[in-house]
Amino acid sequence: MSQLTINNVRIAGMSACVPSTVEDNRTLPIYKDENDALKVIASTGIERHHKVEPGTTASDLTVKAVERLLDDMGWGPEEVDCLAYVCTSRDYIAPQTACVLQDRLKLRSDCCVFDLPFGCSGWVYGMSIVSSLMSHGTFKRAILVAAETNTQNRNPRDTTVRPLFGDAATATALEFDPDRSCPMNFMYGVDGSGFDAVWAPYGGIRNPVTPEALEEKEVSPGVYRRGIDMIVNGMDVFGFAIKQPPRSLKELIATFNIDVDSVDLLFLHQANKFIDEKIRKAVKIPPEKTPYCLEEYGNVTSASIPLTMVTRCQEQLSQAKPKHCLACGFGVGLAWASMEFYAGDVKISDLVIY
Amino acid sequence: MNIQEFIENFAAQFDDTDVADFTAETKFKQLDEWSSLTALSVIAMVDDEYDVIIKGNDIINSETIQDLYDVVVKLHG
Repeated sequence: MSQLTINNVRIAGMSACVPSTVEDNRTLPIYKDENDALKVIASTGIERHHKVEPGTTASDLTVKAVERLLDDMGWGPEEVDCLAYVCTSRDYIAPQTACVLQDRLKLRSDCCVFDLPFGCSGWVYGMSIVSSLMSHGTFKRAILVAAETNTQNRNPRDTTVRPLFGDAATATALEFDPDRSCPMNFMYGVDGSGFDAVWAPYGGIRNPVTPEALEEKEVSPGVYRRGIDMIVNGMDVFGFAIKQPPRSLKELIATFNIDVDSVDLLFLHQANKFIDEKIRKAVKIPPEKTPYCLEEYGNVTSASIPLTMVTRCQEQLSQAKPKHCLACGFGVGLAWASMEFYAGDVKISDLVIY
Repeated sequence: MNIQEFIENFAAQFDDTDVADFTAETKFKQLDEWSSLTALSVIAMVDDEYDVIIKGNDIINSETIQDLYDVVVKLHG
């Protein structure tokens, strides 16, 4: 069992940015009638999502989110020692987007920056990686970005994904603080045999872009895709998501002797309400301790947990007494990770609209 | 675990289809009410009732309720 405990690092601030355009599932042109749309809303809990205009990237949203975060924290860009960019919808095939962001955000040229191309598990993985680097004590301030433009790498005529996924960028400010931090605990999981449960088959080196990969085909009635579009095999993802995340959280709880009654907040990757409620019930956390933002923003991949914290828990997490939190991210990979942490006196910025 | 109980559990995932319409030989994907959402309910039901996770391909490759039941029996071991 891969597990990790990290000391001396705390979440100091958070921010998020979403594009201004809202797409409402009730009025999507992909449904026969509103009744069809209402069925999807009833079973997924997702009513609408925010969507970038073509040409706007996850890094554009990120710049807005990070600038607001630095402003509100009173951190100068030159004080940031590390920036990690969790995202799969990168600006270019090369270089890493984090390099471009170093210049755009005016970070120091000796700042440690890197991409982490994780999907839905990315914020939890990113928290463990960045916090672990910081725990050595020389990086004092770091920013973990979790951002995605799901609407740009999926086909708008793919009825299986369009109602579910949205765009957002989030930034989490971490600081080295031995006096005010509590230990963070992590558990990891991966099942690479499910690599094709959520994937984009063409555009990498194994299946390069060819003229055929750019042809749009009707793959099943009413579902259109190109080879370069992201595919979500709903049934396999669903089967995975109702099995591994509850198991992972239960392992976390058992390994670190967590008293479930003392947990204040459970943050789940915002996959869909049906899946998330099954996970919540499996670990016996009451609904009032499990905030959701998927009804408003859809599934925003790695950004979904921090977006929930920013848009639903601004007041709770700003209180001086730290809240005892669990989080679980799960999806593309297939990869998943769970964590236990405490969050208090977190400076959470108001949501930024791009 | 028996086929009759499986058929009843399977039928419970449908709102509008008459329970009498479900037999071991029912070609469930031809039912008017069948949809991708029903498929997810069936996967969840199999997890809850039989503690196994069926794959998308198990549903795609099953024609009748009996076919799917056979998959669940095999996975259940």
